Amino acid sequence: MLKWYEKTEGQHDVFVAQRIRLVRNIEHCNFPEKMSAQESRDLLEKMKQEFSDIRSVSDIEYDYYDIDSMDARSKSMLYERRIINKALMEKSEPAGILLAQDEASGIVMNGDDHIKLFEHSCSEALDELWAKADVLDDYINSHFSYAYSEKYGYLTAFPTNVGTGMKASVIMHLPLLSGSRQFKTLFNEMGRFGITLKNVYAENGENFGSLYEISNQKTLGQTEEDIVEVVTKMANQLADSERKLRSVALRNHRVNIEDEVYKSYGVLKYARKLTVKEAMTYLSHVRKGVLDGLISTEKPVNIFGIMMEIQSANLLGSHNSESEEPDALRAEYVRKHLPNLI
Amino acid sequence: MLCERCRQREANVRFTEVINGVKTEHMLCMQCAMDMDLGSVGIFGGENPIGKIISGILGANMETAKKVESLNQISCPTCGMAYSEFVNDSRFGCPDCYNVFDILINDNIKQLQGNTRHIGKKPRFGWKTDSEPAERIDTTEGELALLESKLAEAIAEEEYEQAAKLRDEIKRIKGGLADA
Repeated sequence: MLKWYEKTEGQHDVFVAQRIRLVRNIEHCNFPEKMSAQESRDLLEKMKQEFSDIRSVSDIEYDYYDIDSMDARSKSMLYERRIINKALMEKSEPAGILLAQDEASGIVMNGDDHIKLFEHSCSEALDELWAKADVLDDYINSHFSYAYSEKYGYLTAFPTNVGTGMKASVIMHLPLLSGSRQFKTLFNEMGRFGITLKNVYAENGENFGSLYEISNQKTLGQTEEDIVEVVTKMANQLADSERKLRSVALRNHRVNIEDEVYKSYGVLKYARKLTVKEAMTYLSHVRKGVLDGLISTEKPVNIFGIMMEIQSANLLGSHNSESEEPDALRAEYVRKHLPNLI
Repeated sequence: MLCERCRQREANVRFTEVINGVKTEHMLCMQCAMDMDLGSVGIFGGENPIGKIISGILGANMETAKKVESLNQISCPTCGMAYSEFVNDSRFGCPDCYNVFDILINDNIKQLQGNTRHIGKKPRFGWKTDSEPAERIDTTEGELALLESKLAEAIAEEEYEQAAKLRDEIKRIKGGLADA
Protein backbone atom coordinates (compact mmCIF):
# COMPACT_ATOMS: atom_id res chain seq x y z
CA MET A 1 0.00 0.00 0.00
CA LEU A 2 1.24 3.47 -0.84
CA LYS A 3 2.16 5.64 2.11
CA TRP A 4 0.31 8.94 2.50
CA TYR A 5 3.35 10.86 1.27
CA GLU A 6 3.71 8.73 -1.85
CA LYS A 7 0.19 9.39 -3.12
CA THR A 8 0.29 11.59 -6.18
CA GLU A 9 -3.22 13.02 -6.32
CA GLY A 10 -4.19 16.47 -5.10
CA GLN A 11 -0.68 17.93 -4.76
CA HIS A 12 -0.23 21.68 -4.55
CA ASP A 13 2.61 23.82 -5.77
CA VAL A 14 3.55 25.36 -2.43
CA PHE A 15 1.68 23.24 0.10
CA VAL A 16 3.48 19.94 0.55
CA ALA A 17 1.81 18.28 3.52
CA GLN A 18 -0.58 19.05 6.36
CA ARG A 19 -0.76 17.56 9.81
CA ILE A 20 -2.97 17.76 12.90
CA ARG A 21 -1.63 16.36 16.16
CA LEU A 22 -3.55 16.09 19.45
CA VAL A 23 -2.07 15.23 22.83
CA ARG A 24 -4.22 13.59 25.51
CA ASN A 25 -3.76 11.97 28.92
CA ILE A 26 -5.83 9.53 30.88
CA GLU A 27 -7.59 10.66 34.04
CA HIS A 28 -6.21 9.72 37.48
CA CYS A 29 -2.98 8.42 36.03
CA ASN A 30 0.53 9.85 36.27
CA PHE A 31 2.06 11.08 33.02
CA PRO A 32 4.37 8.47 31.40
CA GLU A 33 7.53 10.08 32.82
CA LYS A 34 6.26 9.40 36.37
CA MET A 35 5.00 5.87 35.71
CA SER A 36 6.90 2.74 36.67
CA ALA A 37 7.79 0.29 33.90
CA GLN A 38 5.06 -2.03 35.15
CA GLU A 39 2.45 0.75 35.18
CA SER A 40 3.45 1.72 31.65
CA ARG A 41 3.21 -1.88 30.50
CA ASP A 42 -0.22 -2.34 32.13
CA LEU A 43 -1.59 0.86 30.64
CA LEU A 44 -0.22 -0.03 27.22
CA GLU A 45 -1.86 -3.46 27.36
CA LYS A 46 -5.13 -1.88 28.41
CA MET A 47 -5.03 0.64 25.59
CA LYS A 48 -4.19 -2.08 23.07
CA GLN A 49 -7.15 -4.09 24.27
CA GLU A 50 -9.58 -1.18 24.31
CA PHE A 51 -8.55 -0.04 20.84
CA SER A 52 -9.00 -3.45 19.26
CA ASP A 53 -12.23 -2.21 17.65
CA ILE A 54 -10.56 0.87 16.14
CA ARG A 55 -11.70 -0.22 12.70
CA SER A 56 -15.20 0.85 13.67
CA VAL A 57 -14.11 4.51 13.53
CA SER A 58 -13.39 4.98 9.87
CA ASP A 59 -12.94 1.55 8.33
CA ILE A 60 -9.19 2.10 8.21
CA GLU A 61 -6.92 -0.84 8.96
CA TYR A 62 -4.49 -0.09 11.80
CA ASP A 63 -1.52 -2.23 12.85
CA TYR A 64 0.00 -2.26 16.31
CA TYR A 65 3.77 -2.01 16.95
CA ASP A 66 5.73 -2.10 20.20
CA ILE A 67 8.13 0.81 20.06
CA ASP A 68 10.32 -0.11 23.02
CA SER A 69 11.31 -3.45 21.52
CA MET A 70 12.23 -1.95 18.14
CA ASP A 71 15.86 -1.64 17.07
CA ALA A 72 17.39 1.82 16.73
CA ARG A 73 17.00 1.91 12.96
CA SER A 74 13.30 1.10 12.99
CA LYS A 75 12.81 3.88 15.52
CA SER A 76 14.79 6.27 13.32
CA MET A 77 12.58 5.29 10.39
CA LEU A 78 9.47 6.18 12.39
CA TYR A 79 11.12 9.44 13.33
CA GLU A 80 11.98 10.29 9.72
CA ARG A 81 8.43 9.44 8.70
CA ARG A 82 7.17 12.00 11.26
CA ILE A 83 5.45 9.40 13.45
CA ILE A 84 7.46 9.57 16.68
CA ASN A 85 9.59 12.35 18.14
CA LYS A 86 13.23 12.33 19.25
CA ALA A 87 12.31 11.78 22.91
CA LEU A 88 10.40 8.62 22.10
CA MET A 89 13.23 7.39 19.89
CA GLU A 90 15.48 7.37 22.93
CA LYS A 91 12.93 6.04 25.40
CA SER A 92 13.23 2.46 26.62
CA GLU A 93 10.05 2.19 28.73
CA PRO A 94 6.97 0.44 27.27
CA ALA A 95 5.46 2.45 24.43
CA GLY A 96 3.51 1.52 21.35
CA ILE A 97 1.76 2.75 18.27
CA LEU A 98 -1.37 1.99 16.32
CA LEU A 99 -0.58 2.98 12.78
CA ALA A 100 -2.84 3.10 9.74
CA GLN A 101 -1.41 1.07 6.89
CA ASP A 102 -0.80 4.17 4.78
CA GLU A 103 0.67 5.84 7.91
CA ALA A 104 -1.64 8.83 7.47
CA SER A 105 -3.21 8.30 10.87
CA GLY A 106 -1.93 6.94 14.13
CA ILE A 107 -2.10 6.81 17.90
CA VAL A 108 1.21 6.92 19.75
CA MET A 109 0.89 5.52 23.27
CA ASN A 110 3.13 6.31 26.27
CA GLY A 111 5.35 8.88 24.62
CA ASP A 112 5.67 12.18 26.51
CA ASP A 113 1.93 11.86 27.09
CA HIS A 114 -0.33 8.82 27.27
CA ILE A 115 -1.79 9.51 23.86
CA LYS A 116 -0.68 11.42 20.82
CA LEU A 117 -2.87 11.07 17.79
CA PHE A 118 -2.11 12.46 14.36
CA GLU A 119 -3.55 12.82 10.90
CA HIS A 120 -1.27 13.48 7.91
CA SER A 121 -2.08 14.29 4.32
CA CYS A 122 -0.55 15.77 1.18
CA SER A 123 -3.92 16.67 -0.34
CA GLU A 124 -6.35 17.37 2.51
CA ALA A 125 -6.44 20.77 4.19
CA LEU A 126 -6.01 21.34 7.92
CA ASP A 127 -9.74 21.70 8.58
CA GLU A 128 -10.42 18.32 6.97
CA LEU A 129 -7.65 16.73 9.02
CA TRP A 130 -8.98 18.34 12.19
CA ALA A 131 -12.41 16.83 11.47
CA LYS A 132 -10.79 13.39 11.21
CA ALA A 133 -8.67 13.89 14.34
CA ASP A 134 -11.79 15.03 16.21
CA VAL A 135 -13.52 11.74 15.37
CA LEU A 136 -10.51 9.66 16.39
CA ASP A 137 -10.24 11.70 19.59
CA ASP A 138 -13.89 10.95 20.47
CA TYR A 139 -13.30 7.28 19.78
CA ILE A 140 -10.37 7.21 22.23
CA ASN A 141 -12.37 9.26 24.73
CA SER A 142 -15.24 6.76 24.54
CA HIS A 143 -12.80 4.20 25.96
CA PHE A 144 -10.84 6.38 28.41
CA SER A 145 -11.79 9.45 30.43
CA TYR A 146 -9.30 12.22 29.83
CA ALA A 147 -7.33 14.34 32.28
CA TYR A 148 -9.08 17.64 31.76
CA SER A 149 -9.72 20.80 33.73
CA GLU A 150 -12.30 23.49 33.02
CA LYS A 151 -9.56 26.07 33.34
CA TYR A 152 -6.58 24.58 31.54
CA GLY A 153 -8.39 22.21 29.18
CA TYR A 154 -6.60 18.97 28.26
CA LEU A 155 -3.79 18.47 30.75
CA THR A 156 -0.47 17.55 29.21
CA ALA A 157 3.00 16.72 30.48
CA PHE A 158 4.43 19.87 28.88
CA PRO A 159 2.62 23.14 29.64
CA THR A 160 3.46 24.15 26.06
CA ASN A 161 0.73 21.74 24.90
CA VAL A 162 -1.92 22.38 27.55
CA GLY A 163 -5.41 23.49 26.48
CA THR A 164 -6.31 22.06 23.11
CA GLY A 165 -3.19 19.87 23.00
CA MET A 166 -3.26 20.64 19.32
CA LYS A 167 -0.56 21.33 16.83
CA ALA A 168 -1.64 22.19 13.32
CA SER A 169 1.21 22.28 10.86
CA VAL A 170 1.81 22.76 7.18
CA ILE A 171 4.97 21.81 5.31
CA MET A 172 5.61 24.33 2.58
CA HIS A 173 8.00 24.38 -0.35
CA LEU A 174 9.46 27.87 -0.49
CA PRO A 175 12.52 27.85 -2.75
CA LEU A 176 12.20 31.47 -3.85
CA LEU A 177 10.77 33.06 -0.75
CA SER A 178 13.36 31.49 1.53
CA GLY A 179 16.13 33.00 -0.57
CA SER A 180 14.59 36.47 -0.59
CA ARG A 181 15.26 39.44 1.64
CA GLN A 182 11.67 39.59 2.90
CA PHE A 183 11.87 36.10 4.40
CA LYS A 184 13.30 37.27 7.70
CA THR A 185 10.65 39.97 8.07
CA LEU A 186 7.88 37.46 7.40
CA PHE A 187 9.49 35.10 9.85
CA ASN A 188 9.35 37.73 12.61
CA GLU A 189 5.82 38.77 11.75
CA MET A 190 4.59 35.24 12.14
CA GLY A 191 5.93 35.11 15.68
CA ARG A 192 3.53 37.88 16.60
CA PHE A 193 0.61 35.72 15.55
CA GLY A 194 1.87 32.82 17.63
CA ILE A 195 3.14 30.90 14.62
CA THR A 196 6.53 29.23 14.41
CA LEU A 197 8.48 28.34 11.35
CA LYS A 198 11.20 25.73 11.20
CA ASN A 199 13.33 23.83 8.73
CA VAL A 200 12.01 20.40 7.79
CA TYR A 201 15.40 19.07 6.66
CA ALA A 202 18.51 20.83 7.82
CA GLU A 203 22.01 20.18 8.99
CA ASN A 204 23.95 22.69 11.07
CA GLY A 205 21.26 25.27 10.40
CA GLU A 206 21.50 24.89 6.62
CA ASN A 207 18.16 24.04 5.00
CA PHE A 208 18.08 21.25 2.41
CA GLY A 209 15.24 21.19 -0.10
CA SER A 210 13.62 24.53 0.86
CA LEU A 211 10.93 22.79 2.91
CA TYR A 212 9.62 24.73 5.90
CA GLU A 213 7.05 23.76 8.48
CA ILE A 214 4.75 26.35 9.99
CA SER A 215 2.68 25.55 13.05
CA ASN A 216 0.87 27.14 15.99
CA GLN A 217 2.98 27.86 19.01
CA LYS A 218 0.15 28.43 21.46
CA THR A 219 -2.37 25.82 22.48
CA LEU A 220 -4.39 27.59 25.18
CA GLY A 221 -7.15 30.18 24.88
CA GLN A 222 -7.99 29.49 21.26
CA THR A 223 -10.45 27.01 19.85
CA GLU A 224 -9.21 24.27 17.56
CA GLU A 225 -10.99 26.00 14.68
CA ASP A 226 -9.17 29.27 15.49
CA ILE A 227 -5.83 27.49 15.43
CA VAL A 228 -6.60 25.82 12.11
CA GLU A 229 -7.71 29.16 10.70
CA VAL A 230 -4.69 31.17 11.80
CA VAL A 231 -2.19 28.55 10.58
CA THR A 232 -4.06 28.23 7.28
CA LYS A 233 -4.13 32.01 6.83
CA MET A 234 -0.40 32.28 7.49
CA ALA A 235 0.31 29.43 5.12
CA ASN A 236 -1.78 31.12 2.44
CA GLN A 237 0.09 34.35 2.94
CA LEU A 238 3.44 32.60 2.55
CA ALA A 239 2.13 30.75 -0.49
CA ASP A 240 1.00 34.00 -2.10
CA SER A 241 4.41 35.58 -1.58
CA GLU A 242 6.16 32.49 -2.96
CA ARG A 243 3.89 32.41 -6.03
CA LYS A 244 4.43 36.10 -6.74
CA LEU A 245 8.19 35.65 -6.64
CA ARG A 246 7.97 32.60 -8.87
CA SER A 247 5.90 34.34 -11.50
CA VAL A 248 8.26 37.32 -11.55
CA ALA A 249 11.25 34.99 -11.80
CA LEU A 250 9.63 33.00 -14.61
CA ARG A 251 8.86 36.18 -16.50
CA ASN A 252 12.34 37.60 -16.18
CA HIS A 253 14.63 34.56 -16.04
CA ARG A 254 12.70 31.72 -17.66
CA VAL A 255 15.70 30.19 -19.42
CA ASN A 256 17.80 30.22 -16.26
CA ILE A 257 15.04 28.54 -14.27
CA GLU A 258 14.40 25.91 -16.93
CA ASP A 259 18.13 25.28 -17.07
CA GLU A 260 18.24 24.74 -13.31
CA VAL A 261 15.27 22.35 -13.42
CA TYR A 262 16.60 20.29 -16.36
CA LYS A 263 20.16 20.17 -15.01
CA SER A 264 18.86 18.99 -11.64
CA TYR A 265 16.72 16.35 -13.32
CA GLY A 266 19.75 15.20 -15.32
CA VAL A 267 21.91 14.84 -12.23
CA LEU A 268 19.20 12.95 -10.34
CA LYS A 269 18.54 10.65 -13.27
CA TYR A 270 22.18 9.77 -13.98
CA ALA A 271 24.24 10.28 -10.84
CA ARG A 272 25.71 7.16 -9.25
CA LYS A 273 26.13 8.72 -5.82
CA LEU A 274 24.03 11.36 -4.09
CA THR A 275 24.46 12.85 -0.63
CA VAL A 276 21.30 13.89 1.25
CA LYS A 277 22.12 17.52 0.60
CA GLU A 278 22.66 17.00 -3.15
CA ALA A 279 19.54 14.90 -3.55
CA MET A 280 17.36 17.31 -1.57
CA THR A 281 18.63 20.36 -3.45
CA TYR A 282 18.05 18.85 -6.91
CA LEU A 283 14.72 17.29 -5.92
CA SER A 284 13.59 20.72 -4.74
CA HIS A 285 14.40 22.18 -8.18
CA VAL A 286 12.61 19.33 -9.94
CA ARG A 287 9.55 19.66 -7.70
CA LYS A 288 9.34 23.32 -8.62
CA GLY A 289 9.68 22.43 -12.33
CA VAL A 290 7.02 19.73 -12.26
CA LEU A 291 4.41 21.70 -10.30
CA ASP A 292 5.07 24.91 -12.26
CA GLY A 293 4.53 22.94 -15.47
CA LEU A 294 8.06 23.53 -16.80
CA ILE A 295 8.62 19.81 -17.25
CA SER A 296 6.20 16.89 -17.45
CA THR A 297 6.78 13.36 -16.35
CA GLU A 298 5.43 10.16 -17.92
CA LYS A 299 3.48 9.36 -14.81
CA PRO A 300 2.56 11.47 -11.79
CA VAL A 301 5.18 11.72 -9.06
CA ASN A 302 5.21 12.97 -5.48
CA ILE A 303 8.68 14.44 -5.05
CA PHE A 304 8.10 14.85 -1.31
CA GLY A 305 7.64 11.08 -1.13
CA ILE A 306 11.08 10.58 -2.66
CA MET A 307 12.51 13.13 -0.23
CA MET A 308 11.05 11.16 2.70
CA GLU A 309 12.34 7.83 1.44
CA ILE A 310 15.94 8.88 0.81
CA GLN A 311 16.62 9.96 4.40
CA SER A 312 19.31 7.72 5.84
CA ALA A 313 17.35 5.36 8.09
CA ASN A 314 14.47 4.87 5.65
CA LEU A 315 16.86 4.24 2.80
CA LEU A 316 18.98 1.68 4.62
CA GLY A 317 15.96 0.20 6.39
CA SER A 318 13.97 -0.46 3.25
CA HIS A 319 17.01 -1.99 1.50
CA ASN A 320 17.90 -3.90 4.62
CA SER A 321 21.49 -3.23 3.82
CA GLU A 322 24.54 -2.46 5.95
CA SER A 323 27.24 -3.02 3.38
CA GLU A 324 26.18 -0.78 0.55
CA GLU A 325 27.18 2.83 0.54
CA PRO A 326 24.20 5.04 1.44
CA ASP A 327 25.02 7.62 -1.23
CA ALA A 328 25.04 4.96 -3.94
CA LEU A 329 21.79 3.46 -2.63
CA ARG A 330 20.23 6.90 -2.60
CA ALA A 331 21.22 7.57 -6.22
CA GLU A 332 19.82 4.20 -7.22
CA TYR A 333 16.54 4.85 -5.40
CA VAL A 334 16.11 8.27 -7.03
CA ARG A 335 16.95 6.90 -10.52
CA LYS A 336 14.34 4.23 -10.08
CA HIS A 337 11.58 6.40 -8.70
CA LEU A 338 11.94 9.55 -10.77
CA PRO A 339 9.71 9.02 -13.83
CA ASN A 340 10.98 9.75 -17.33
CA LEU A 341 10.21 13.08 -18.95
CA ILE A 342 7.85 13.47 -21.87
CA MET B 1 -7.22 16.73 54.48
CA LEU B 2 -7.53 20.29 55.77
CA CYS B 3 -4.79 22.85 55.56
CA GLU B 4 -2.72 22.90 58.77
CA ARG B 5 -2.64 26.65 58.89
CA CYS B 6 -6.15 27.90 58.10
CA ARG B 7 -7.99 24.64 58.82
CA GLN B 8 -10.59 25.72 56.31
CA ARG B 9 -9.40 24.87 52.83
CA GLU B 10 -8.36 21.57 51.37
CA ALA B 11 -4.60 21.03 51.64
CA ASN B 12 -2.98 20.42 48.31
CA VAL B 13 0.59 21.54 48.83
CA ARG B 14 3.18 19.49 50.64
CA PHE B 15 5.83 21.78 52.07
CA THR B 16 9.01 20.31 53.49
CA GLU B 17 10.72 22.56 55.97
CA VAL B 18 14.25 21.90 57.12
CA ILE B 19 15.29 23.63 60.35
CA ASN B 20 18.67 22.75 61.84
CA GLY B 21 18.71 19.55 59.87
CA VAL B 22 15.29 18.45 61.15
CA LYS B 23 12.81 17.80 58.38
CA THR B 24 9.16 18.63 59.03
CA GLU B 25 6.39 18.10 56.55
CA HIS B 26 3.42 20.44 56.35
CA MET B 27 0.24 20.09 54.37
CA LEU B 28 -1.06 23.47 53.31
CA CYS B 29 -3.59 24.95 50.96
CA MET B 30 -2.21 27.00 48.12
CA GLN B 31 -3.54 30.23 49.59
CA CYS B 32 -1.66 29.72 52.87
CA ALA B 33 1.44 28.64 50.99
CA MET B 34 1.23 31.96 49.19
CA ASP B 35 0.59 33.92 52.39
CA MET B 36 3.64 32.34 53.98
CA ASP B 37 5.63 33.89 51.18
CA LEU B 38 6.42 30.68 49.46
CA GLY B 39 6.16 33.15 46.65
CA SER B 40 4.45 33.61 43.37
CA VAL B 41 7.56 33.49 41.30
CA GLY B 42 7.85 30.67 38.84
CA ILE B 43 10.42 29.57 36.40
CA PHE B 44 9.12 28.18 33.23
CA GLY B 45 10.63 26.05 30.57
CA GLY B 46 9.03 24.09 27.84
CA GLU B 47 9.79 21.79 25.00
CA ASN B 48 10.13 24.75 22.69
CA PRO B 49 12.71 27.54 22.73
CA ILE B 50 10.33 30.29 23.92
CA GLY B 51 9.86 28.43 27.17
CA LYS B 52 13.59 27.99 27.51
CA ILE B 53 14.20 31.68 26.97
CA ILE B 54 11.71 32.63 29.66
CA SER B 55 13.33 30.07 31.92
CA GLY B 56 16.72 31.61 31.19
CA ILE B 57 15.63 35.15 31.95
CA LEU B 58 13.99 34.26 35.22
CA GLY B 59 16.76 31.91 36.19
CA ALA B 60 19.27 34.71 35.88
CA ASN B 61 17.39 36.98 38.23
CA MET B 62 19.22 36.84 41.55
CA GLU B 63 16.39 38.46 43.48
CA THR B 64 14.16 35.54 42.76
CA ALA B 65 16.74 33.00 43.84
CA LYS B 66 15.72 33.11 47.49
CA LYS B 67 12.04 32.69 46.79
CA VAL B 68 12.78 29.91 44.36
CA GLU B 69 14.63 28.07 47.09
CA SER B 70 11.51 27.86 49.23
CA LEU B 71 9.31 27.11 46.25
CA ASN B 72 11.49 24.19 45.33
CA GLN B 73 10.34 22.35 48.41
CA ILE B 74 6.71 22.27 47.35
CA SER B 75 5.79 18.94 45.85
CA CYS B 76 2.73 17.30 44.36
CA PRO B 77 1.21 14.72 46.75
CA THR B 78 -0.08 12.57 43.87
CA CYS B 79 3.07 11.96 41.85
CA GLY B 80 5.67 13.35 44.25
CA MET B 81 7.07 15.79 41.76
CA ALA B 82 8.86 18.71 43.40
CA TYR B 83 8.58 22.20 42.02
CA SER B 84 12.34 22.22 41.45
CA GLU B 85 11.95 19.17 39.20
CA PHE B 86 9.34 21.00 37.19
CA VAL B 87 11.65 23.99 36.86
CA ASN B 88 14.43 21.74 35.53
CA ASP B 89 12.40 19.63 33.12
CA SER B 90 9.57 22.03 32.28
CA ARG B 91 7.21 19.12 32.50
CA PHE B 92 4.58 18.00 34.96
CA GLY B 93 4.35 14.55 36.52
CA CYS B 94 0.58 14.08 36.62
CA PRO B 95 -2.67 15.92 35.94
CA ASP B 96 -2.94 16.97 39.61
CA CYS B 97 0.28 19.00 39.30
CA TYR B 98 -1.77 21.63 37.46
CA ASN B 99 -3.91 22.07 40.58
CA VAL B 100 -1.06 21.92 43.06
CA PHE B 101 1.14 24.44 41.27
CA ASP B 102 -1.76 26.43 39.83
CA ILE B 103 -1.09 29.77 41.50
CA LEU B 104 2.65 29.45 40.98
CA ILE B 105 2.40 28.78 37.29
CA ASN B 106 -0.59 30.93 36.38
CA ASP B 107 1.45 33.96 35.32
CA ASN B 108 3.98 31.87 33.50
CA ILE B 109 1.33 30.01 31.57
CA LYS B 110 -0.09 33.37 30.59
CA GLN B 111 3.34 34.52 29.46
CA LEU B 112 3.92 31.32 27.53
CA GLN B 113 0.48 30.83 26.05
CA GLY B 114 -0.87 34.37 26.06
CA ASN B 115 -3.88 33.07 27.95
CA THR B 116 -4.88 31.12 31.02
CA ARG B 117 -8.22 29.67 30.06
CA HIS B 118 -9.17 26.89 27.70
CA ILE B 119 -12.02 27.67 25.34
CA GLY B 120 -11.66 24.79 22.90
CA LYS B 121 -13.11 21.33 22.69
CA LYS B 122 -14.36 19.58 25.82
CA PRO B 123 -14.23 15.82 26.23
CA ARG B 124 -17.48 14.37 24.90
CA PHE B 125 -17.31 11.41 27.28
CA GLY B 126 -16.56 11.03 30.98
CA TRP B 127 -16.54 14.69 31.87
CA LYS B 128 -19.28 16.78 33.48
CA THR B 129 -18.68 20.01 35.36
CA ASP B 130 -21.13 19.13 38.14
CA SER B 131 -19.65 15.71 38.77
CA GLU B 132 -16.17 17.03 39.33
CA PRO B 133 -14.40 15.13 42.06
CA ALA B 134 -14.22 17.00 45.35
CA GLU B 135 -10.45 17.34 45.28
CA ARG B 136 -10.52 19.47 42.19
CA ILE B 137 -9.84 23.10 43.02
CA ASP B 138 -10.83 24.80 39.81
CA THR B 139 -12.59 27.37 41.89
CA THR B 140 -12.84 30.31 39.61
CA GLU B 141 -15.51 32.94 39.76
CA GLY B 142 -16.90 31.68 36.49
CA GLU B 143 -17.58 28.28 37.96
CA LEU B 144 -19.23 29.75 41.04
CA ALA B 145 -21.47 31.85 38.82
CA LEU B 146 -22.34 28.75 36.82
CA LEU B 147 -23.21 26.77 39.96
CA GLU B 148 -25.27 29.62 41.31
CA SER B 149 -27.28 29.89 38.14
CA LYS B 150 -27.81 26.12 38.23
CA LEU B 151 -28.98 26.45 41.84
CA ALA B 152 -31.51 29.13 40.89
CA GLU B 153 -32.71 26.89 38.09
CA ALA B 154 -33.07 23.89 40.40
CA ILE B 155 -35.06 25.92 42.94
CA ALA B 156 -37.31 27.30 40.21
CA GLU B 157 -38.00 23.77 39.05
CA GLU B 158 -38.53 22.60 42.62
CA GLU B 159 -35.71 20.07 42.42
CA TYR B 160 -34.72 20.52 46.02
CA GLU B 161 -32.43 17.53 46.28
CA GLN B 162 -30.33 18.79 43.39
CA ALA B 163 -30.50 22.32 44.83
CA ALA B 164 -29.16 21.11 48.17
CA LYS B 165 -26.26 19.42 46.43
CA LEU B 166 -25.48 22.56 44.49
CA ARG B 167 -25.75 24.68 47.62
CA ASP B 168 -23.25 22.43 49.42
CA GLU B 169 -20.91 22.56 46.45
CA ILE B 170 -21.04 26.36 46.40
CA LYS B 171 -20.42 26.47 50.14
CA ARG B 172 -17.50 24.11 49.77
CA ILE B 173 -15.93 26.17 47.05
CA LYS B 174 -16.36 29.36 49.01
CA GLY B 175 -14.37 27.71 51.77
CA GLY B 176 -17.19 27.09 54.23
CA LEU B 177 -17.18 23.31 53.89
CA ALA B 178 -13.66 22.38 53.03
CA ASP B 179 -14.06 18.71 53.78
CA ALA B 180 -17.46 18.17 52.18
